[in-house]
Amino acid sequence: MSRITRPLGATAAVIAASLVLMGCSSAEPSGEGAAAGEPVVGGTLQYLEHQAHTSLYPPAGGFYPNGGILNNITDRLVYQNPETLEFEPWLAESWESNDDATEYTFHLRDDVTFSDGTPLDAQVVADNFDLYGLGDQDRALTVSEAINNYDSSEVVDDSTVVFRFSAPSPGFLQATSTINSGIVAESTLELDLEGYGPGNSDAVVGTGPFTVGDEEIGASLTLDAREDYAWAPESWDNQGRPYVDAVQITVTPEDSVRVGALLAGQADVIRYVEAQDEPQLAVDGFSIYAPQTNGVNNSLSLRFRNPLLEDIRVRQALLAGIDRQEVVDTIYTDNYPLATSVLSSTALGYLDESDALGFDPERAEELLDEAGWTVGSDGIREKDGERLTLVVNEAAPQPRSFEALTLISQQLAKVGVDLQILKADAGSYAEAILDADQVQLYHSMVGRADLDVIKSQYYSSNRNTLLNWDSSDDSIGDAKLEELLEAVSTEADPDKRVEASQAVQRYLIEQAYVIPLFEEPQVYGASDAVHGLGFESVARPSFAQTWVQR
Amino acid sequence: MRYVLGRVAQAALVLLIAFTAAFVLLQAMPGDAIMIKFQNPELGLSPEQIARIRESYGADVPLVAQYGHTLLGFLGGDFGYSVVSGTPVSRLIADALPNTLVLALSGFVLAVVVAVALAVTATLSRFAWLGTALRALPSLFVSVPVFWLGIMLVQLFSFQLGLVSVINPGPIEGLILPVLTLAVPISAPLAQILLRSFDEIGAQPFVAVVRARGAGAGWVLGRNVLRNALLPTLTMAGLLFGELIGGAVVTETVFGRAGIGRITEQAVSQQDTPVLQAVVLLSALVFVVINLVVDLLYPVLDPRLRSTVRGRKAVSA
Repeated sequence: MSRITRPLGATAAVIAASLVLMGCSSAEPSGEGAAAGEPVVGGTLQYLEHQAHTSLYPPAGGFYPNGGILNNITDRLVYQNPETLEFEPWLAESWESNDDATEYTFHLRDDVTFSDGTPLDAQVVADNFDLYGLGDQDRALTVSEAINNYDSSEVVDDSTVVFRFSAPSPGFLQATSTINSGIVAESTLELDLEGYGPGNSDAVVGTGPFTVGDEEIGASLTLDAREDYAWAPESWDNQGRPYVDAVQITVTPEDSVRVGALLAGQADVIRYVEAQDEPQLAVDGFSIYAPQTNGVNNSLSLRFRNPLLEDIRVRQALLAGIDRQEVVDTIYTDNYPLATSVLSSTALGYLDESDALGFDPERAEELLDEAGWTVGSDGIREKDGERLTLVVNEAAPQPRSFEALTLISQQLAKVGVDLQILKADAGSYAEAILDADQVQLYHSMVGRADLDVIKSQYYSSNRNTLLNWDSSDDSIGDAKLEELLEAVSTEADPDKRVEASQAVQRYLIEQAYVIPLFEEPQVYGASDAVHGLGFESVARPSFAQTWVQR
Repeated sequence: MRYVLGRVAQAALVLLIAFTAAFVLLQAMPGDAIMIKFQNPELGLSPEQIARIRESYGADVPLVAQYGHTLLGFLGGDFGYSVVSGTPVSRLIADALPNTLVLALSGFVLAVVVAVALAVTATLSRFAWLGTALRALPSLFVSVPVFWLGIMLVQLFSFQLGLVSVINPGPIEGLILPVLTLAVPISAPLAQILLRSFDEIGAQPFVAVVRARGAGAGWVLGRNVLRNALLPTLTMAGLLFGELIGGAVVTETVFGRAGIGRITEQAVSQQDTPVLQAVVLLSALVFVVINLVVDLLYPVLDPRLRSTVRGRKAVSA
């Protein structure tokens, strides 16, 4: 782990500011380029959300409506530049870690205050991570998914805090930069899960460029600019208070109303533009922003411990039998690039596996023949009287999951595989996706700009999407996969860690455990009057540098 | 008076049954909100951690004890907390109810006005073609899906013509389109009932007598027919309140309005039992109260029913 000590120099800030004045390049609008003039201060940005937020407990920030608010009201110790994915000082001026990544020391800025007036010091930062790293089940507050092996904190002095880990935790630095690690005030840390809920949002106090103002539960929430904000990351062009006075977040669940309101000038920015609605915004005066989520691609996890998928030839046949290009071309747009690995091509440690991901229906049929599955009277293959019927879940949070799966089901029918799509009420669904007898193919993705992301998705005690770990008898199906994943999250040497991630990517495709579909973006629409709209590394909006030219 | 008390007791019994049925059905559904929320693979919680969370929610207490606890809570005005967001259910309902009440009442009033205007115009019209056209309207209205109507109204009046804003509108401005959306499908069955009643009552002998004495069409309709046609319409109006609740779910979602409909939609999708329990009871309460009012209004409107009430103490809706 490299040692970084970078005091904030005013000159550096000015140069940085002028360099990035053109705004976010990774999320460059695909429509008319936004000509940046002199930023306009003042006004209210109208932002339309697709869903209502459910909690402002920072580890719950993975849900986009939650994360969209948290990203603007809290700051993090470290800033991960969304374009380079490099780290910059934010609340911490500098940091260092020991060689085996079991101890991290952060040196904090001494001029930062929370919006309730209390100062940011080492104690409050330590308390934040004690909660996020250990959780508190009695208050139903969960551990942050981003933090592994957390043990304890130590306050050295007012501006120095040390975190210790029970095992190497090389992903911790990036974890401190995620929304899940947003730093909140002592008064906020005392809240229980109810206290972080809608209706009580103004009790969530951070050091961020905005604070929560008016709130109407489930309908709207206002973010008010903090006039005295002065600790932005150095690569932001705006080093002071946000340009806008406020951001009005309005929940507008109906897709056509969000798009229509934007086109009619009633809104400035909208989140969640569905692929089929994108053409409506391809007109003068509007832009589409499609920042990438930089993690595990939108993909199907094949539950290989289920008898139907035990045979690698069956899994390989599924991989070869799906025309992924057709799925992307038919259901999505150019903003959804075809996946070429388990990880997105913009993710850290990405390894190109496209050679192993070709579409070959004849090969698929051969493999199934070899595996003993013969075509039955209705075109669906059978073996020992059992039909080759598989179930995949409709992933409601993922864009157009049902449409994509329907097409995939048609493609697989051509090679004799019957793919059913599970559409169920939330209770049955939650049960079914954890049961390989009910759901053999699991449709999901996960965004996080760290090498740990691959472990998050597949490791037994994390999301366990392959159900490699069977909770009923506490057994592991593929011990090698577990070992490979552990290496990613514990290898302290950065180069070896990348190799460990690539070994996992190779292994998952080699074993045909995963069928990656596309690199998932978050798609936003905005009027061209909006400038400087930014996104953090997993595509949640950042409004501190945004201004509106009315 | 005894009649009224009896009806109130009956209403309380209906509420208790609705509460119990809702409780049993919600418990019988597969899974629960705690599981949906915390067993979600995204959280990566271990079975032990989930067990502790379930314990802290009291989810593993025997059902009978839960039922007793929930019932006592409801009687004392404590509706518990939303499992999804942690917000007190009473707070959610209290915030949402005024919005929905305003929307539902305005929608209902407009529906009645439209229905009466339509029925009267159709009946009194001197032009046969106008009467026929107007008589066809309710069938059209009744078959228009609410969500489609809402989206069309938004597209036309807000996005194309720019007459009203749907995003952060003023209090009155924000009501116009949702109220229209809600009123159209409610007005249709009302108008149908009114029209049919007008026709039936208009054909009765006493109307012929009044006409024979020289009364004009308007006089007959206003003084004789309308009063008699009110009874079936009132019954229908009571029943239509269910439509209002269903309509509010769609209308509030399309227009992004806070309200009971939105809460219901979100609670259903997340199986948020405490919220659903409260919403079911609230709907049952509204139904019961409206039907009670309707029943009590019958004798006021129709003198013939007064004696019946005294005699048999019961008039069923």
